[in-house]
Amino acid sequence: MPKFTRKGLIAGAAAGAAAAPFARLAWPDTASADPSATHLGHAHSAAGHAAMVGPDVPAPGGPNDLDDLLLPTPALPYEPGRVREYDLFATDKTIEVAQGVEFDAWTYNGTVPGPIIRATEGDLLRVNFTNGGSHPHTIHFHGIHPANMDGVFEVVEPGGEFTYEFAARPAGMQLYHCHATPLKKHIHKGLYGAFIIDPKKPRRPAQELVMVMNGFDTDGDGENNFYTVNGKAFYYAKYPIRVSRSKTVRIYLANLTEFDLVNSFHLHGDFFRYYPTGTGDQFEYTDTVVQAQGQRGIIEIDFANNGLFMFHAHQSEFAELGWMGFFQVTD
Amino acid sequence: MSESVAAVRAGRSWRLWAFVPLILLTAVVALFTAGGSSITGLLGENPPSLDEFDVRRVEFHPGEIRIRVTNPQRDDLTIASVTVDDAIVPFELDGPRTLGRLRSSEIVVRYDWVNGEPIAVGVTSSTGIQTTEEIAAATETPEASAKSVFGYGLIGFLVGVVPVALGLLWLPSLRRAAPEWLAAFMALTAGLLAFLAVEALSEALSLQARLPSALGGAGLVLLGVAFSYLFLTAVSSRLGGREGGGGAGGLALATLVAIGIGLHNMGEGLAIGSSFALGELALGTFFIVGFMIHNVTEGLGIAAPLSEGRSVRWQRLVLLVAVAGGPAILGAWLGGFLTSDLLGVVFFAAAAGAAFEVVVEVARYVARKAPGGLSSPHVLGGFLAGVAVMYVTGLLVG
Repeated sequence: MPKFTRKGLIAGAAAGAAAAPFARLAWPDTASADPSATHLGHAHSAAGHAAMVGPDVPAPGGPNDLDDLLLPTPALPYEPGRVREYDLFATDKTIEVAQGVEFDAWTYNGTVPGPIIRATEGDLLRVNFTNGGSHPHTIHFHGIHPANMDGVFEVVEPGGEFTYEFAARPAGMQLYHCHATPLKKHIHKGLYGAFIIDPKKPRRPAQELVMVMNGFDTDGDGENNFYTVNGKAFYYAKYPIRVSRSKTVRIYLANLTEFDLVNSFHLHGDFFRYYPTGTGDQFEYTDTVVQAQGQRGIIEIDFANNGLFMFHAHQSEFAELGWMGFFQVTD
Repeated sequence: MSESVAAVRAGRSWRLWAFVPLILLTAVVALFTAGGSSITGLLGENPPSLDEFDVRRVEFHPGEIRIRVTNPQRDDLTIASVTVDDAIVPFELDGPRTLGRLRSSEIVVRYDWVNGEPIAVGVTSSTGIQTTEEIAAATETPEASAKSVFGYGLIGFLVGVVPVALGLLWLPSLRRAAPEWLAAFMALTAGLLAFLAVEALSEALSLQARLPSALGGAGLVLLGVAFSYLFLTAVSSRLGGREGGGGAGGLALATLVAIGIGLHNMGEGLAIGSSFALGELALGTFFIVGFMIHNVTEGLGIAAPLSEGRSVRWQRLVLLVAVAGGPAILGAWLGGFLTSDLLGVVFFAAAAGAAFEVVVEVARYVARKAPGGLSSPHVLGGFLAGVAVMYVTGLLVG
């Protein structure tokens, strides 16, 4: 960081404000009248204000770092007797959750949230779990399964292994998380992830995304310091999610935020169908959904317009602490 | 002859012995540091650093907040993220991003803060530890301008110089007082100085608790108290020696009282100036008037020793007022424009030491001169009255 001077501040005002994820809220008089005119990658030229989105947003990570957590593998058509096998490895890892801020996490396979587990209803799911962490862990899946596969009593000591095996059901957006005690600690440290069970009758084609809402209590005071989707604060403001207007956008949304009772998802400039838990055909047509801890559902958006559309928690505090992003909608 | 030479030689070699412990200490320290963390290896790991910043000053300027932070710990601290009212904000740095021990940086945030409303600024380290500083009400921090220099000067003048000068006007009445009543007023001076000493000491101790542990500690307070006490003792014996007789009296004693009061007023000015600059204090009329009433007794304290003996020229009186009251102006400037808890600790500690010393001087004077000595009812009553007057008038500014 170069030596700062008052003169430098004025000269660099554009660049400084460009780093502002909420610059427009802070300086409303400089707000752009036409946000869709924002040219990504040229934030400096746009008088600073527009770069609440784009490369100058203070978010950690590179452009495709979160692809594995955002883009699920395609659903497989139903096939009797198929086995779906996943390997999960618990490990202690320091991860960057906001620009320049490290968090000593407990992870499945090195990321928070953990990898997306996906199966079609009726598949035999086999999850080989190895505990490479420093504490006892388990995997507790939401869904219907035998009592001895529930990840509550079968605590896996460090260095131990366990194989979870059960038929995947019911179809919907499920989740998994560690159920070792103290539960609050094991969840807020990062041991959770999305678990999608596709119906035997395939859903109609869509651009599919997974969003796991979470928070990070980096200073251990029982309150989150940062909020994210998929683990990095402001990540999708720095790298907007590119979607096509001609195809439905389907988001598998889950709330794994610890400490705060609820989290929410709000879309700008459009409405969507929200299917609670993704288990039925009933939906609400809305632009805002609220989920308690552990709640989840499926969102389907048919964008009416091209352009940049913000999405964020409608708890302003969460949004301003990192849970904020954009869709870049094009033809 | 040869015996004495031998004795001198022996004396020399024994003096050289004085270096042996130092040399051995150096060797032991070198050995220990070369061994690395061998002792901590035996006992377990060192606890991790707290990674909390020391927020030294938060300034509010139009459209801008400036946060001065210091690293109070041994390990480096890196500024990763800054929040205002629990929202991450962009920031610039005037200074390094990674702070070594006791290094500082100024964080500049462009922000439309709301006048008069509470605000909280947070600085998060790269290890995720957030240090939050809450400001009761955001108000614009005065910039150093001719106007504000005059303003702070006026505050210092009103709470320092004016009351001391007014108090000195009791001098003619005191000169006509009976000896036992004079003793009572001298004891009153001792009482009010004792009050100031205790007050300054408590202020110094509570301020040092806010300092980073690397800087602070009660030891710093003791150092300040001892230094000013001994310094005034030396001044007193020199002044007393010039006048002849044992111990200071008359003008010399009045000068000592003025110095003690002046140091205290410097601390007081510093506290008022910095509290106002940081938006922690409303400078109402009542507040200023309270301080004036509180400090008028200080003038009385200077007048009492002057009332006995030769008459004093008015220039001397002006000088005494300047010594006792003037530092309040200096303190208000320092507090208003610099704001440093460290300066506050040093001034208040020095004020406590000086006031204690002057209490001792006055007591010796009273013991020497008062009819009936230290235990006469006038002296005892006067001392208690001095403490009580300070306490009661102090309530005005509480």
